[in-house]
Amino acid sequence: MEKQNERYSRHFSLSGFGKAGQEKLLKAKVLVIGAGGLGCPVLQYLAAAGVGTIGIADHDQISLSNLQRQTLYTTGEIGQLKSVTASRKLRALNPEITIAAYTEEVTASNVWDLISGYDLVVDATDNFATRYLISDACCLLQKPLVFGAVSQYEGQVAVFGLNDQGQYISYRDLFPEPPRPGEVQDCNVAGVLGVLPGMIGMMQANEVIKYITGIGNGLTGRLLTFNMLTYETMMVELSKGKDSEKMMPANREELEKTDYQWLCGLSHPDIRALNPEDFLIKIKKGEIVAIDVREKGELPAAGFPHLHIPLSRLEESLTGIPEAEIAFFCQGGTRSLKAAEIFIRNRKTAYPPSHLEGGILALTQQKNEKRD
Amino acid sequence: MEVKIIAFGKIAEITGKEFSVSASDTKALKEQLAVQFPQLADMKFAVAVNKKVTEENTVLSTNDTVALMPPYSGG
Repeated sequence: MEKQNERYSRHFSLSGFGKAGQEKLLKAKVLVIGAGGLGCPVLQYLAAAGVGTIGIADHDQISLSNLQRQTLYTTGEIGQLKSVTASRKLRALNPEITIAAYTEEVTASNVWDLISGYDLVVDATDNFATRYLISDACCLLQKPLVFGAVSQYEGQVAVFGLNDQGQYISYRDLFPEPPRPGEVQDCNVAGVLGVLPGMIGMMQANEVIKYITGIGNGLTGRLLTFNMLTYETMMVELSKGKDSEKMMPANREELEKTDYQWLCGLSHPDIRALNPEDFLIKIKKGEIVAIDVREKGELPAAGFPHLHIPLSRLEESLTGIPEAEIAFFCQGGTRSLKAAEIFIRNRKTAYPPSHLEGGILALTQQKNEKRD
Repeated sequence: MEVKIIAFGKIAEITGKEFSVSASDTKALKEQLAVQFPQLADMKFAVAVNKKVTEENTVLSTNDTVALMPPYSGG
């Protein structure tokens, strides 16, 4: 900042922002968890704006179906780790800032240390287990959390943190407990128009910049709901709920012992996860009946014998499933786990169900690798 | 009390986006909606009365606006 940096000249000339605002950004350390539909615009705008230190946490790889909305990535980069590719792109965009990529999955055991090194956290994830984990950790560490989430044509943005009364307002003051599995459809199932996470992610980036520089009215303790089809918005105020603190871990030790996957109904001790190889062997031997729980018309089609019952119809179709060892499969392994959960809860069976871990994508990827 | 309901996301798909109902407080409102729309009975959603989220039972007055907001997970 010693020399006049032309890179930020439009910030310098901006009334109410200026060099003071830019210096605050350059000193800030922001951790973005999730480098997908929301994370891409958040990262691009924060790096461009000159946030001095940016952490990117994502353990996922780039897939073809991501490219419709995840604008940091290109077709040639399919299969690469998002956090690594994103950090390379951001370094090219702004070599003057520090960027750290975390390729490990954010879990109850590493979240504390990860978040501790940053001033502010951005929740750009795509599942409830991680959202509750991040919210609880940020609440215990009293770190501000810029939250964003989308569904079909609507999005939610909020900033969780200390309110004027010194109380930390968290995601649990909005939704004390996670929904049941399958109650809320994720983008894999319900779909999402590509520009929506772009718009919501940019609102998150805006909130980060406002929070750091202290300009405007931030969304701390408030939730904004945005409808992209009508441009209708609704702003609601949050307050410290009676139940929220009872629901969450009381300290670091309790947090690290909490099984967030289980809390969100995403794992069951009786559900077996099959890797692609074992899955195919069991099908060949006729030991399992495979059920595709993807919606009608989803590709790639399965090249082995199977039944087809979309997850949205599973509950009403349970009686039609044969009494045998069932292995559910879907695109990425999330819906199949939910299907197994629904199956185990609603149907008495001597055979605990299993599911294909990583879904049909893991299966095709393995086949391609073998071919290479 | 006649109150205006604004529903979001999956709830709006079940109930319609905007409608009016008569209920004395938010607890009675939720119970009434669960009877009218059985799918809502097990769903988790936030309730905001006149743009303030409330977890506890809240008394409703005529012309109050009640927003029903489900959680979104996508990103």
